[in-house]
Amino acid sequence: MTAVAAEPRVEAPPLGALRWRPSRAQLIGAGALALVAAFPAVLPNRDFAFFVGAYASVYAMIGLSVVVVTGYAGLCALMPYSFAGIGAMVTGLSMASWGWPFWLAVPLAAVATVPVALLVGVASVRLKGLYLAIATLTLANALGETFFRWGAVTGGSAGWTVTRPTAGPVDFGSDAAFYVLTLGSVLLLVWMVHGLRSARTGRAMVAVRDNEVEAQALGINVYKTKLVTLLIGGMLAGVGGAFLAALQVAPTAEPFRSPISEATSFLLVATVAIGGVDRALGAFIGAVALVVQQQVFAGAEFFYPFFGIYTGLLLIVLLKFRPGGLLQIARMQGEMIRTRPAVGIPVTAGVLGLNVGLAYLILRLS
Amino acid sequence: MNAPVLLRTDELSLRFGGIAALDGVDLAVRPREIVGILGPNGAGKSTLFNVISGFLRPDAGRVELLDHDVTDLLPFERVAAGIGRTFQHLRLFRSLTVEENLLVAQHRHLQSGPFASMLRLPGHRRDEREARARVEEVLELVDLTPWRGSRPTELSYGTLRFLELACVLSLKPRVVLLDEPASGIAQREVEALGPLLQRVRDEWGLSVLLIEHDMPLLLSVSDWVYALDFGRVIAEGAPDDVVEKDAVLESYLGRTRREPAAARGRKRAADAPA
Repeated sequence: MTAVAAEPRVEAPPLGALRWRPSRAQLIGAGALALVAAFPAVLPNRDFAFFVGAYASVYAMIGLSVVVVTGYAGLCALMPYSFAGIGAMVTGLSMASWGWPFWLAVPLAAVATVPVALLVGVASVRLKGLYLAIATLTLANALGETFFRWGAVTGGSAGWTVTRPTAGPVDFGSDAAFYVLTLGSVLLLVWMVHGLRSARTGRAMVAVRDNEVEAQALGINVYKTKLVTLLIGGMLAGVGGAFLAALQVAPTAEPFRSPISEATSFLLVATVAIGGVDRALGAFIGAVALVVQQQVFAGAEFFYPFFGIYTGLLLIVLLKFRPGGLLQIARMQGEMIRTRPAVGIPVTAGVLGLNVGLAYLILRLS
Repeated sequence: MNAPVLLRTDELSLRFGGIAALDGVDLAVRPREIVGILGPNGAGKSTLFNVISGFLRPDAGRVELLDHDVTDLLPFERVAAGIGRTFQHLRLFRSLTVEENLLVAQHRHLQSGPFASMLRLPGHRRDEREARARVEEVLELVDLTPWRGSRPTELSYGTLRFLELACVLSLKPRVVLLDEPASGIAQREVEALGPLLQRVRDEWGLSVLLIEHDMPLLLSVSDWVYALDFGRVIAEGAPDDVVEKDAVLESYLGRTRREPAAARGRKRAADAPA
């Protein structure tokens, strides 16, 4: 066949492309990450900032399940927070009631989500699009009225008392230490979910999302792929729930019942969509953005009621113009800085400055 | 013609309401054979493909591959058995690059599970290395190497047809069903398609079942041709014989009587409505 399309877009990668060598963009990314990670340390209310940072990391863990289920496989399962709740309650039960260490409670929290994940997986084969969304909302509600009202599992209205873990001589009891632990854990999970995308299973998920019929014609078992997707998603959220329990120290089942559970699940999905739903890093960026915005608005009493409106508007604008979310914007700015530094650097600096200025203004005005 | 039969349909019948889409279709494909199917729109050609590849269940009849009954297998299981197919309307993964589309097609040749991939275990690395090496070969076969990083939306329809072909060939099937591979592509690509199919047959030892409205292409590459109308096989035989049968002329070319001998054969067929 002769040349048909205009121009080849990408050069062939060298044969060693699978071997990892950090590129300049990756180094810049790592530097930016280090800055964000160290940011709570320079804030005036440091311990609170570490607590909030750990919250962001836990949100990112649960958000990773949204990346796998909705981002990779395109399934509208709207109950990530219910899966996290299962993880949190099982962690509380096993640690407070059975005396298990945190490190054993985490895998148990992951495994505990399996029955519900299988149920949603089977449903996802029969129900497409919004029908699956409705079914999962109903299931979240049902779990809230049954599982999360079951005293033996939830510890009743008092909840459970969970001690944060230690590892040998290292005690993760303080907010600062626990922040470091959750941040490290979520980055490990981001790395794992990222690896899934460029491998057999992740590619099958995207194939099923893009075109179920063609996926079958290429020998992919759609049924199995959807089940595996929900299982992995459930486990990620379950692990997030385990860290949530340890973060809160005294977790109760209250937030996993209607309507807080559904609202939080929606917020999580929106958060991940803002960060970038089809990349593992998107969950992390979205969670950081959410928590920063939340704190800015929370610091401004007058503006706090507008937080939901603001998040909704941001989501709509991003989905319309930048469906890849903040991650796509960051990548495009990076590209612009590289190819046209004279335009890219001032534009990027301007956008960042505008955001910081707005945040400052909101905090000042209230 | 005594070679063992690779793919056989036995009295396949399927009705949609009052319409018989397939009505007792018997058909056989032998190893290393390109078999053409011709017939007017609505003759049941694509329905036949859907039944052979498992996307539709027949009301009656059997599909056999190497004398094994595969009628009850699901589409992805038939791929594993060795039946690959393309669709009349392009179906590719639009958010994946050309290379990733071909990597998806490697799915059944790879083993590593999700956790091996998440942790980058050695099995995953070996899988990825092998898959990428195989994708390189296929890219070269269909001349798509320069576009490996492009997405389907950036490529011409003809290029995508070749990508689709590359995907189905990556499955390493025994027999591949091609549903109008030449529709909507440029003339020079049509001309490249025939030799490519013959190369695949001769070098890879593949059989091809081909639905095609481009008569010169169909007649030049096919070793055997079936003519379908109203869900029935109305004629079969060597390409040049089939297009001369009255029933075929009537149903497909819209003529009732033979023309003078000089106008017969491929030349005449080339004027047929595509």
